[in-house]
Amino acid sequence: MSAQTSSFQDFRNLLQHLGTETADRDMSDNERIHAAKSTFMRKLNGRKAVDLDTCIQCGMCAEACHFYEATLDEKYAPVYKFRLLRRFYRREISPMRLLFRPFTKDISVADLKEWQHYVYDACTSCGRCDMMCPMGINISTLIRVTREGIAAAGFMPPELRALRNEQRDQNTLFGVGSEQLKALIHDLGAKKINVPLDRPHADVMLLTTAADILLFPNALAATARILNKAGADWTICSDVFEATNIGLVSGDDPALKLSIKRIVDKATAISASTLLLPESGHAYQAMRWEGANEMGASLPFEVLSIPEFIAAQTEAGKLNFKPQDNGTSVTYHDPCRLARKGGVMQQPRDVLSAAGLELRETASTGRENYCCGGGCGEYVVKSSADLRQKAFEIKRREFDETDADAVVTGCVNCRINLAIGAENSGWQMPVTSLVETVAARLAD
Amino acid sequence: MTLLDFARGPGLQWALWIFVFGVTWRIVGAMFLMAKKDLSKARRKKYVADGVRTIITRSVPARSFEKRIRFQHISGYAWHFALFISVLFFAPHILFFESLLGFGWSHLPNTIILFTAAAATAILIALLLRRATHPVQKFISNADDYISIFVVLIPLVTGILAFAHVGARYETLLAIHLLSVEAMLVWFPFGKLMHTAMTMPSRYQAGTSFGHRGIKA
Repeated sequence: MSAQTSSFQDFRNLLQHLGTETADRDMSDNERIHAAKSTFMRKLNGRKAVDLDTCIQCGMCAEACHFYEATLDEKYAPVYKFRLLRRFYRREISPMRLLFRPFTKDISVADLKEWQHYVYDACTSCGRCDMMCPMGINISTLIRVTREGIAAAGFMPPELRALRNEQRDQNTLFGVGSEQLKALIHDLGAKKINVPLDRPHADVMLLTTAADILLFPNALAATARILNKAGADWTICSDVFEATNIGLVSGDDPALKLSIKRIVDKATAISASTLLLPESGHAYQAMRWEGANEMGASLPFEVLSIPEFIAAQTEAGKLNFKPQDNGTSVTYHDPCRLARKGGVMQQPRDVLSAAGLELRETASTGRENYCCGGGCGEYVVKSSADLRQKAFEIKRREFDETDADAVVTGCVNCRINLAIGAENSGWQMPVTSLVETVAARLAD
Repeated sequence: MTLLDFARGPGLQWALWIFVFGVTWRIVGAMFLMAKKDLSKARRKKYVADGVRTIITRSVPARSFEKRIRFQHISGYAWHFALFISVLFFAPHILFFESLLGFGWSHLPNTIILFTAAAATAILIALLLRRATHPVQKFISNADDYISIFVVLIPLVTGILAFAHVGARYETLLAIHLLSVEAMLVWFPFGKLMHTAMTMPSRYQAGTSFGHRGIKA
């Protein structure tokens, strides 16, 4: 971890107090159940119906889940995490609902409270189970719909609720807004790193994250170096710079859409042809795969993750690297939503190779990669701390087996969770970001 | 009307009607729920190829998963293989299918069929015991899981008994065997035996949705 230790401790303290003063609106039991059911009804479609009708309850998905593997607790089998949605489907939507209803228990508030633990604390929506299912069921999507229903019922964990409210109402996260971004850019300017701020028009609109600004300012500096080296016509906008989409990770659809709309409107206003996303797996999912669907039309710009951008610029000959150094080896941690759910798996590896690094793969990699343990916003949720640490240990074991010099990842949230896990367990392997690793090896 | 007459006549007819109508209703009903078109820019547009490939590739678990599910993987294949051989290549079954379809095919020797039927029965009992004892399977199982196993297990057992003429008169055993098959046909559309019809569409749509994002599902 290359974050300043004091900043990181401050950040962990901030996480400890997150959500303690956040109350959601009062809802009666009937309102909660109605909200959950309405969400389930809206979200279920033919594809999900086929998935729900195909499940044979073989339980193999448990063997793909890091939370089950770490605890051997049968409640963490992915098939059980969407059981509530399946019950709703069988009672209310299935073509056989009239026959199923008398034998299928209705959803209660107690159920919603119980499933909050399964879908928030014990699921990072990593989608590894999707790859295991012999029936081809998109299990993580079914769990996500369950999460959305529970969020609508007012049972979102308080930490995510606090962040959701902050982003929705103040357009900041962790208290980081345009002033903090401007201050960082000012500091970078003093180090002769040019970050074009608020240009009225640019080909490339770059986003960053509050977590990077707070903890990993070198990531923005490295990204700027890469963009400048590639000769890109780019800018970052002080009023819309946040890539993190708390709506997506918390299961709040309106908040998801609002964050997407802010970015789409801004990118359109500055006539950007490319929206460049920082190292954030879920931001990639939100903009690359859900942006158009949430907006109801194709996006008027291309959405690229930073590994895709670097790989393309390297291939085009716009980025060159120093000759290979002393044979530094790294292992790459695939962020789930960038890799297994996003399709960006080869580009980071190409980039690391081009930068002269020896890549050592973990035993489970690419589409079969283990989650860091804290994805989908889970690293902020206090009630999942023990489970997260256990899941982290699986990841740590795989990292250690590579005997690499460092872990490189392409997601700030993975980086934070790995740093938390490392600090908790005294693990020493350095964890850094792809963009910082690559920028440090750019030829002058 | 004897029990065998009923099993061969109205019992079979009703069971087949319920089976055909129920399966069609459930598939068409699910399809009618529809899904919105994905508006995101596709990384890859070979939907049919990706869908068909996933139907095939999901038959084999990924490398890093296989060691954790080896028993279920191998027993699942062995069970389905033994069942299909027993159902499709037993001479009296082929005569039955010929009466329904108008054409038949070659049969296998009875000793082979007896072996595959016994193997299918043994594997299914093993899978039943696993479901009743394995912590995850026991926890997630409901009535459908057990009923679906029993309605398949009983025709296997009664079929072997009828073949071996053990336990009662042949006509009685045959009637019970037919009735147990009819019970399975009646249950089929309502339980998880429906996976027989749904697995390929489910795998196909996994292939297309992941393929859209450039991922081999």
